[in-house]
Amino acid sequence: MATVAAVAPLLETEALCKRFGGLAAVNDVDLRVAPGEIRAVIGPNGAGKTTLVGMICGRLVPSSGRVLYRGRDITAMRPWERLMQGIVYTFQVTSLFKSLSCYENVALPAQRRLMRGFAARLALREKAVAERVCAALASVGLAGIAEQRADSLAYGHQRLLELAMALAAEPQLLILDEPTQGLAQAEIEQLCDLVRAIARSATVLLIEHNMPVVLALAGHVTVMDSGRIIAEGTPGEIERDAGVQKAYLGR
Amino acid sequence: MNDLATHRVLALHLGVLALLFLAQFALPEYHHTNVARIMVLAAYALGYNLLLGYTGLMSLGHAMFFAAGMYGAGLPVYYLGFGAAGALGAGIATGMLLAAAFGLMALRTSGVSFLIVSLMFAQAFYLASLYFNEITLGDQGFILSGKLAPLQLGGTPLGFHEPAVKYNAALLLFAACFLLSLGLRLSPIGRVLIAIRENEERTRLFGYDSFRYKLLALVLSGGLAAAAGASYALLFSYVGSTFASILFSIYPLLWTLLGGVGTILGPLVGTGLMFYLVDIASGITSAYLLVVGVVLVALILWFPQGIMGTVRAKWLPWLP
Amino acid sequence: MSFGPHLFLALLEGTVSAFVLALTALGLSLVFGVMRIVNVAHGEFFMLGAVLAWFCASLVGTPVAGFLFALIAAPLIVGALALAADRLVLRRIDYHPEGTIVATIGLLYIIQQAVLTLYGPEARPVTPPVYFILSFPWFGYSGYKLVVAAISACLLAATWWLLARTKLGLYMRAAQQDLEMAQAFGVPARRVYAMVFALGAMLAAVAGVLVVPIQQAHYLMGLDPLLLSFIVVILGGLGSVKGTVVAAFVVGISDGVVSVFFSPTLAKIVATLLVAAVLVVRPGGLFGEDRA
Repeated sequence: MATVAAVAPLLETEALCKRFGGLAAVNDVDLRVAPGEIRAVIGPNGAGKTTLVGMICGRLVPSSGRVLYRGRDITAMRPWERLMQGIVYTFQVTSLFKSLSCYENVALPAQRRLMRGFAARLALREKAVAERVCAALASVGLAGIAEQRADSLAYGHQRLLELAMALAAEPQLLILDEPTQGLAQAEIEQLCDLVRAIARSATVLLIEHNMPVVLALAGHVTVMDSGRIIAEGTPGEIERDAGVQKAYLGR
Repeated sequence: MNDLATHRVLALHLGVLALLFLAQFALPEYHHTNVARIMVLAAYALGYNLLLGYTGLMSLGHAMFFAAGMYGAGLPVYYLGFGAAGALGAGIATGMLLAAAFGLMALRTSGVSFLIVSLMFAQAFYLASLYFNEITLGDQGFILSGKLAPLQLGGTPLGFHEPAVKYNAALLLFAACFLLSLGLRLSPIGRVLIAIRENEERTRLFGYDSFRYKLLALVLSGGLAAAAGASYALLFSYVGSTFASILFSIYPLLWTLLGGVGTILGPLVGTGLMFYLVDIASGITSAYLLVVGVVLVALILWFPQGIMGTVRAKWLPWLP
Repeated sequence: MSFGPHLFLALLEGTVSAFVLALTALGLSLVFGVMRIVNVAHGEFFMLGAVLAWFCASLVGTPVAGFLFALIAAPLIVGALALAADRLVLRRIDYHPEGTIVATIGLLYIIQQAVLTLYGPEARPVTPPVYFILSFPWFGYSGYKLVVAAISACLLAATWWLLARTKLGLYMRAAQQDLEMAQAFGVPARRVYAMVFALGAMLAAVAGVLVVPIQQAHYLMGLDPLLLSFIVVILGGLGSVKGTVVAAFVVGISDGVVSVFFSPTLAKIVATLLVAAVLVVRPGGLFGEDRA
């Protein structure tokens, strides 16, 4: 199994577990993500991928184990504090503010960054927020539709809007949960370009089912099955791994 | 929101206040007092709207905040000889403290649970006001007019029984609550509250401690309700248990829904309209609360956005 | 009367009111549990039962005939009203939780004020169908109250039997556990909901009929049973006959005892705060929707 370069990891999990009743959705997972990587997490349905990243971004509390970020133990850190550390999560199922305009959708994460400390909050001007919103929308190609309601957008554009929101939050670790699901081929390619652009300044953790996307984007791949990591390596190595094939095909 | 929109919004809302100010010179006496009453009650509705319309939390217990303001102002005047300003402050403080204490306990729940918890707390408050009736004089209540010293403005005494004083004090209260609501709505905090209403988990993952924001909304909401309660006691001179009853928790829900949940102008419109509907109905029958029932059902079935909500959806999307 | 007999009297009173409360609360509990909605107008169904009983008694000659007539007619009428409310209002808004609350508040006022118009603001008594005194060494106790307890017990048992042993009961329990799954297995959700809502109303109405010879019929008498039923349902658990009965007894008897020895108002304050505390402390909220 190929190892990640010996640089201090940005994100680390130690023996991370999540149990629901008698079922261990995530079982003793040691994950290490280096800064600047694009890491794909793949595995059959029910493997525990969303549960794992849920514990990383703070949605879920681990049953046992630790999450370390930049060397600090953040296991007990609340979800909103993790955002300020740079951990940004986009949901598997579209999670927008549906009845609000695209501008308002992006403004919410954008303004958070401008609200560090009491003095900053008082000095907050809508103009500063507007600049960030427009930049984020432009970077995903949605510049013209700021005033439209989020739920009036086509599905593909909604996914892009979510990406714009994530970007406005200034991610250091961007976690994308099945971003290409439901997208047309052209949209998928656009998304891949965007992810590559983002990866120049942030680390990306990507849950994906779409193998061509994984092959195109990921530097390293982590394979999960039944709550455990069963393989890790470059996309090419993983493609050829017999154990991985069995996990996917044996379903 | 860009500058043009802000100017439009400000012009409209200040215009409404100006209209209310001018109306006092045109209104006949009966309606004069009514409008004063409506303005105070609309402030109550504004407080309620802050929680329901802008944070998405439905409460059936706001009467306890209104009554906290009422007793918080009325009792010191009646027993301790407080002046109007001190009483108002005491009333508002009581309401906000109660809201904070309530929020710290109740905000762990949401949805229907929160609604029932608020109902239960308010009911306990109401029963307590009856239980301690040596102090509060329960249902019967007590009158302040003998005990309340008139305001002194540059040497001229302004008694609250004078229509002009009553009207303008009520207008001042309403304007303060109105502009506070508008300001909050247009502020970054307002944006967060609306986001919490729409999708709380998403908001938390974007860096906001939703509990703290909900608590803030609840304390402000309780504060506005208490300000209305305190003003009602001072201006209309009566303090009694009925204002802590369940019906008085249902009223702001009704007024807000009718006027348009989540709009700034809605509470005023709803309160005014409902006040007159009930007024007219009570002239026809003693079963005038039937109007309340019919309006509530009609709103839910056909008109959930209320008046200003429909206006906003159909014609004026920039309305906050 | 010394303490011992006083306590015994309080316990008797508490037991009778507990039975009636159990019937009323069970209606609310079923609606809460199966349909996942709060029916704020539930107390008005109780009140309607009482008022209709008065109408029946004034139409028919003898108290016994009037009572029997009311026992059949009142629940049927109230059940029909509930079906109409479900069809015309609740179904239209798809049982949306907060919308239902607002709509049933509206229903509360419509029913209450309609009764005020047609029946008037007075409290009117109804002669009990049977009148005998149970002579204890310290006091005489109304025999009718024990009849009330007996009939309530039968009705509670009948409801339990309905839930546990009939097809409708099976459908109700399935819908309560997992509506989608139940529908997948062919349970007619809408019809079950309508039946549950009607059944809940009818239980409250019967309780009203039983109670009216003890307590006079008055258009505002629905509020107290509503609040007490809330308390019982939340403490005892949604949709469970056993839980509701047990909670009704705990609440009914302690309410009776505290009311006799202290003050009724104080008893209510304690009960109300207790319910709030349970909801605040219980993880998962009422329907399991809250984050723990």
